[in-house]
Order: sequence, then structure tokens, then C-alpha cells
Amino acid sequence: MSSTLWVIAQREYVQRVTSKGFIIGTLLGPVIMIALLVVPVLVMVAATDDSPRSIAVIDQTGVLFNDLELPVEYDLRLTDQPQDTLRAMITRKELDALLMLPPTLLSGSGSAEYFSRGGGGIVLATRIQEAVNRAVRHQRVLRAGVPEEVLRILGEDVGIRMVKITDKGEEADAAAALAGIGYTMGFVIYICMFIYGAFVMRGVIEEKTNRIAELIASSARPFQLMMGKVLGIGAMGLTQFLTWCILGMAIMAFGGTLAAMFIDPAEHGLTGSTDQQAVLDAAGITIPQIPFSSFVLFVLFFIGGYLLYASLFAAVGSAVEQESDAQQFVLPIAAPIIIPMLLIVHVIEAPNSALSFWLSMVPFFSPILMVVRVAATEVPFWQSALSLLLLAGAFVLSIWVCSRIYRVGILMYGKKPTFMELARWLRED
Amino acid sequence: MLRLSNVTKRYATKVAVDRVSFDVEPGRIYGLLGPNGAGKTSTIRMITYITTPDEGRITLDDKPVGAWSQRRMGYLPEERGLYRKMRVGDQLEYLARLKGLSRAESRDAIRRWLDRFGSPDWKDKRVEELSKGMQQKVQFIATIAHSPSILIFDEPFSGLDPINSELLQEIIFELRTAGRIILFASHRMEQVEQLCDDICLIADGRVLIAGSLREVKSSFGRNVVNLEYDGDPSFLKTIEDRGDVRIISATQHRAEIRLLNGTSPRSILDAAMAHLSTIYRYELVEPSLNEIFISVVSNERDRAGQGAASSIAVREAS
Repeated sequence: MSSTLWVIAQREYVQRVTSKGFIIGTLLGPVIMIALLVVPVLVMVAATDDSPRSIAVIDQTGVLFNDLELPVEYDLRLTDQPQDTLRAMITRKELDALLMLPPTLLSGSGSAEYFSRGGGGIVLATRIQEAVNRAVRHQRVLRAGVPEEVLRILGEDVGIRMVKITDKGEEADAAAALAGIGYTMGFVIYICMFIYGAFVMRGVIEEKTNRIAELIASSARPFQLMMGKVLGIGAMGLTQFLTWCILGMAIMAFGGTLAAMFIDPAEHGLTGSTDQQAVLDAAGITIPQIPFSSFVLFVLFFIGGYLLYASLFAAVGSAVEQESDAQQFVLPIAAPIIIPMLLIVHVIEAPNSALSFWLSMVPFFSPILMVVRVAATEVPFWQSALSLLLLAGAFVLSIWVCSRIYRVGILMYGKKPTFMELARWLRED
Repeated sequence: MLRLSNVTKRYATKVAVDRVSFDVEPGRIYGLLGPNGAGKTSTIRMITYITTPDEGRITLDDKPVGAWSQRRMGYLPEERGLYRKMRVGDQLEYLARLKGLSRAESRDAIRRWLDRFGSPDWKDKRVEELSKGMQQKVQFIATIAHSPSILIFDEPFSGLDPINSELLQEIIFELRTAGRIILFASHRMEQVEQLCDDICLIADGRVLIAGSLREVKSSFGRNVVNLEYDGDPSFLKTIEDRGDVRIISATQHRAEIRLLNGTSPRSILDAAMAHLSTIYRYELVEPSLNEIFISVVSNERDRAGQGAASSIAVREAS
């Protein structure tokens, strides 16, 4: 019995892991992931046009121009020419933009106007706005007779270092980063559940359309066939997943160095020779170290969630003859995977709320939401243990139900069954 | 010995197998015959322990079939199927290991059988690269590679060319000589007549006749007339319309006639001599299995009150 299961699982694993598709997918997976994260950023950066801009400024207040602080690539020119002439120059592309600063600006009732051909991008708009704001605020405060000393204080930027107090003493609180990691982990589990579940489903459908189902059903029990497939594909998933984890950890290990490279020490009032950690602290960035126990829990929930959903996908596969027919049955399976993705934001924001607790106990949600909680906060051991136990119970139940559907389904050809018929298969002997 | 006693299987809407009993002896080939939908596949699935009977028992050497008997069984299903992307060698090894062979044993057996089929170089080919006939051979090797003591062949010759059919038949006879239990399911009567020692005819889930082929045939007596002639055979139609005979086949010069309702062979000869210019041959023979099959099934259905319509359906099915 166990050796049959082993032979089946082994075939599934070896056939898949040695396929070209798997090797390419495993190596390209992280590249695509990183591309998905990096490309939008690169596009945004690239879209920001940093070429020098000539901006004419009509300063009717007479004082603001000197206070406008913009990076050197913005070529500001104070001018007295009439507005119409300047606007015509913009249309002729002799000038990039015109900034109008009316006298009413200082008294608080007017607003500045910015004319351009458009396309400056969000960065430019924010910069101009900020510069004008600062200048106006400075002048207004000055007029109110506030001493220079106070002005200097107001102008300073303040960094904030988040500290979390735990049993082990003080630790840097990387709430933002941890939430990000929790979200990423949850998302990875969500994606994997679908991908590997679909692998299982496709494998079952393939055996049905190849008509090999009857032959192997005469050599092994349906439960062994289904479990062997689920375990073999699970082992493949784990192989792929651990490969990605190792690649990911390598990236994390160099993450601090990478982040430090993009931060200019001078911007945070530090000298150039300060060490990396100090730079990151000053910038308020903490690269979190994921505790080993969280990682173990993550893997356990990954396995548990996979087993639960894979058995459901196997049952769906056995009920249909083509993937296109599976849609109707995949929906009720997909819903419990999608729901936690909608609730993930709440769990990240309030990982210790009653709702988060109960959601992380529901077997269909826990593989995603408990992982998010574990990443975002300190979850008591009994909670994660209970959640895992419930997940294991749900898996045992679902594998029992699904292997009964599978048993009848793999030998059933012709009409696509209804939900009623699936229910009848459960009772059939 | 494989023994079925009062095996019954019901599905939601119908009784697929109804109190079926028969014995399959080692060293003999047992033919399981029946029109499509008669319950052959349902019966085989219970023997192979893919499904279990609702009532009755199936035993192999006096022990109920189960996972243990699956390992000793070779099954060639009517619907052939292999993993298309898998290499022939890997595939055969996998199927043999499912039957409990070790890796080394299975490789050994596969090499032997591929050699026997004159195709040792297929090992590294993917199944999808092979022709349909070649796939059939691979499937046959998968059925016998683990030296099963009981073999179930469901339409083993379909799709094979005459040369490969010959080879297959040769191997099946060898297996018989080696004392294996062989169950051969088919609705191709001439093949069954050629191969089987015993037969069991089922229709609508029930056994209609069972026994040795010899006995079954002789129990029907010599009641088929073969005629070869010159002349106008339309008189036969007249006799058939009276209900005394059934014309199995008739051409301008040859006719095969089944005698019904105690019609004497002599009366046909008399009628033939009266109506035909020349008679080359007049012969009284045992009915073919095909003829037995048709008459038994249609009688059964007539009795069940379904009338002539279903007997036509049976003739088409056979």
C-alpha cells in the first residue's frame, strides 16, 4: 500500500521536475517576480523627465522668487514680460513653463498659477507646489514677525525611529516592512495554491482524457492514485518553492547593502563615512530578520493549505473531461482562496483583532491569513498550533470526500455531472 | 480459479450486472461475450477490483479479490490509454512497479518483451511519437510484463494489423499453455470461436448461456443449412415469410439458412430441388457462434416483451 503510493508520487515528482518547463519556470520565476516589482518603479522613474526645464516666473509679490528652492535642473528665470508673450513662447516651445505668483498670495487669498504644455509628470507638479508653499509660508511667517531662530526650527526635517518592546527587550519595529513581508508571503501562498492546485487538476484530467485512468485504477486504489499525485506534485511545488526561498534569502542578505546604496548619508545629517546600519537607522528603514520559527510556520501552512486545496482540485479534475468544463467547479474552490486576499489588509492593520483571530482559525483562510499574522505580530503558540490542527482536520475530511468523488469520476465519461450527481457519488459504493 | 457467484451491480438508473455466476479455469481461455452495454465492462471492473459488487462474491483461488489480486492481474482495457509524454521504457517500468515489481525486475521483463515484439529501440521514444499500432503493442506489454497469473483482455485485437494479431494470438496461446487464467471479452464472434475454450454470453446484465464452446454449439444441434446453387432463390423468401426459416445471408449463388420451429432439413432440400436449376452444395451444419448469439439474445428479448425491434438492434450490435 505504502509502496504503491510511493511509486505513484515518485513518478509525478520525477516526470515533472525533470521537464524543461519546470527547470525554466523555477529559474525564471524569481526573475519575473522581481520584474513585476521593479518594472513599475523603473517605468515611473523613466517617465519623469529630468531634462532641464526653463521656467519663467512672474513674481508680482517681489519677494517670493528668492525663496523658491528647486533642484538645479529647473532653470528659473525672473521676468517682467507680459503674460501673453510668455504663453506664446510656451506654445512655440521656446519656454517650458510659466509660474504666476500674484500679490494676493502673501495675504492668503490668491493662488499661484502654472502654465505648461503638460506632461511634466507627478514629480514635477509636487516639486513646484512644495517650493511655492515653502516660499509663501516663509514670507508669511516672516511678516508676522517670527524670529529667525524659530524659522530654522520649523524648516528642519525630523526622522523617527520606531521601537517595538518585546520580551527580549527593545527591538527595532519594522512594522511596515513586516507587513510587506506578511503580505508577500500570503500572496505567494495564494498564487502557489492556485498554480499547484491547477497542476493537480490538469494531471487528473490528463489521465482521464488519455484513458489511462482505467488501467491504473486496476493497479492501485483510487485513494493512493489521488494522494500519490497530490504528494508528488506537492513535493515538486516544495522543491520549486524552497529554491525560490533560497534565492530570496540571498537577495535579503544583500538587501541592506542595496538599500544603503540608494540613500545619501548627507541628506540625513550624517557624514559620508557612517556605517551602513547607521544610515538605515537614520532613514527610518529597518530590514527585518524573519525569525526561523515564522519561516517554519510559513512552510507548514504552505503544505497544509496546498494539501487541502489540491485534494479539492483533484476532485474537480476527476469530474470533468476538459479543463474548459472545470470552470463551474473551480469557482466554489477559488472563492475561499480569494476571500482572504480581500481581508488581508484588515489583518495586516489589526493582526490582533478578534476578526483577525477568527479568520486565522478557519481552515480555508488560515494558510494565507495566519501567515500574515505571524509575520505582522507575535502570535501565541497555542493559536498557531490550533490553527494548524484545524487545517489538518479539514484536510483529512476533504481528502475523504474528494477521494470518493475521484473514485467515481475518473471512470465516468460523457455528460458533465451536476453538483447533485457529485453528491450522489459520495454515497455510491 | 476465478469464480463469480451471484454478482450484482446496480447503478443509479439500472441493474448493470444481474446475479452473474461463472468460473474461469486456469489453462483455458474464457470468452465473455455480449452486445455493447450488456454488462461486460461492469463485470470486468468488479473482477479487477476497480469497483465492488453490491451483492455476490468474486474470488480468485478462493480468496475474495482485492488489492492483493490487482497485483497478480494483467488488464488490457478496451479503451486503450498511456501517458502520452512519457517514454516507453519509463512508462512500462512505472506500470510494472505499480504491480509490485522491483525496478530491476521490471527493466528485465520490459527488455525481454520489447525484444520479443522486435522493438528494443522504442525504450527512449515518447508514446506520442509512436503509431497507433505500436502503442497497442506497448499497451499489451504493459498488460503482461509483470507475469500476472490472471489476464483480462478486452477486445485485444482491435486496431491491430494481421501480423501483429497473429503475434498476439501466439502469446495468448502460450499464456494458456503456461496455465494462466485468461478472460477474453469481445463481441467479435469469429475471434471468440477461434480462441476460446469456454464461453459465457451475457445480455442486459444476465448470463444467457455458459459452458464450453463445444457443448454450447452442439446443444443447438445441426440446424443451419448451407446452399450453393444456380437459379432463382426467391422461394427462400417465401419460406422465411411463413416463419419456418431465417435467412442468415443470401447472395445470387449462396445462402445460409437457419431452421426454425422444427422445420425439417429435408423440406428445404425438397423446396430447393423444386425451384433451383442446379444445386452444387447442400450441407447441414452447427450454427456459428454469431448465429447462436443472435438467436439467444433476440429470444431473450422477445420473452422480455420487447419484440422485434430490439432483435434488430442486437443484430446491428453484433
